[in-house]
Amino acid sequence: MYVYLYDNYLRSKKFDSTVKAIETRLTDFEIAGKIIRLQNFTNTEAIIEEEIKKGATVIVIVGNDETFGRVLSRGAACRVLFGFLPVGPKNTIAEVLGIPEGEDACDVLSQRRKINLDIGWISNRNRYFISQLYIPASDITVEYDEKFKVFGKHKKMELVVCNLQPFVWNRKGKEDFIVHPQDGKLEAFLRPMSGKGMFSDKYEDPSLFPFEEMVITGSKPFQVEADGTITKETKIVIKLAKNRIEMIVGKDRRF
Amino acid sequence: MFQKPNYSESESQINAQHTKQHDDVETVVGPSVHVEGDFSSEGNILVKGIVSGNVKTSKLFTSEKGSKVLASVKAGNAVVSGVVKGNVKVDDRLELTSTAQVLGDIECGVLVIEAGALIRGKVTMKGLEIDDPKSDKKSGLIRGIVKDDDKKDK
Repeated sequence: MYVYLYDNYLRSKKFDSTVKAIETRLTDFEIAGKIIRLQNFTNTEAIIEEEIKKGATVIVIVGNDETFGRVLSRGAACRVLFGFLPVGPKNTIAEVLGIPEGEDACDVLSQRRKINLDIGWISNRNRYFISQLYIPASDITVEYDEKFKVFGKHKKMELVVCNLQPFVWNRKGKEDFIVHPQDGKLEAFLRPMSGKGMFSDKYEDPSLFPFEEMVITGSKPFQVEADGTITKETKIVIKLAKNRIEMIVGKDRRF
Repeated sequence: MFQKPNYSESESQINAQHTKQHDDVETVVGPSVHVEGDFSSEGNILVKGIVSGNVKTSKLFTSEKGSKVLASVKAGNAVVSGVVKGNVKVDDRLELTSTAQVLGDIECGVLVIEAGALIRGKVTMKGLEIDDPKSDKKSGLIRGIVKDDDKKDK
């Protein structure tokens, strides 16, 4: 049985035609199912658990990157097959997964090409992130795999942990440096802040470390943005959750 | 913030860059970064900053001018342009550029030293057929004398 989790923004009139087209296509494929509309404070893990008990076999997220991140940040704890139907703008994760936007995504869903995905896990908060975790320039110390610590000469460092999406490092006057996430590892990019410029802060060249476990500590609370969700933390432990979620992907996926 | 991913490139370009990137570098220690502790990687390592601890990789280790490694280095291949205060053990080829400074023993298969590189330590290379006569009387030149005695006996 298929259960569809619709983001709240899909109530907007401008998405009416797309949503109707998707629903018609799903009916044609005989994979239409129960529709649940997510509110801002909906506990997705509880909803998914409830639906699994009622017999759901596939949970399909309908929305954009933010919806995807919000559902799976908690929902990844549930053992069920996930699907994704991207609708509207801000859909970069769908491209990585090889899922086209709008009603064409129903074709991918019906083909049920399943794959196990490695995802990031913030273990001390029991939250998952699928795409990226970002910490703006903060006074932080990073310890990798309980083996070595990394400090910046200048106190503040910016950090990006990259999972599914390729990371583009734009170097002034040189060609872009694209780093593609490897299987079995998360990639962490550290960029120490060297000073403040007229219009933006100045940064040193980034450091790059593949890792399986990373502890980030700060003397003051620092901002953490994981798949669009922002929190303040003083310590986070990031681990790689291998093969954590089973997902339906397209044949044009980028990994 | 770092630039967001750009998907305008074609799949083939991305794949080509992917292959190129993985052939090039997998771990980078940036110029103003200090790493403390033993540091190992399964891929290539590029050091531009300071590493206070042993460095180990089965692939290529590269240290740039201005970098410092304050412990031993073990690698498959290595190109050193910075300072290494510790022993360097390389399975295959070690290249010391003109700005390299090594304070420690070197062990490698092939050694390339550019003019200007500084070394203080013992250099040991694999594949040497002539052994030190003081330390080994069983082989090398000694073996030749034994052969002469054999001829006399005959």
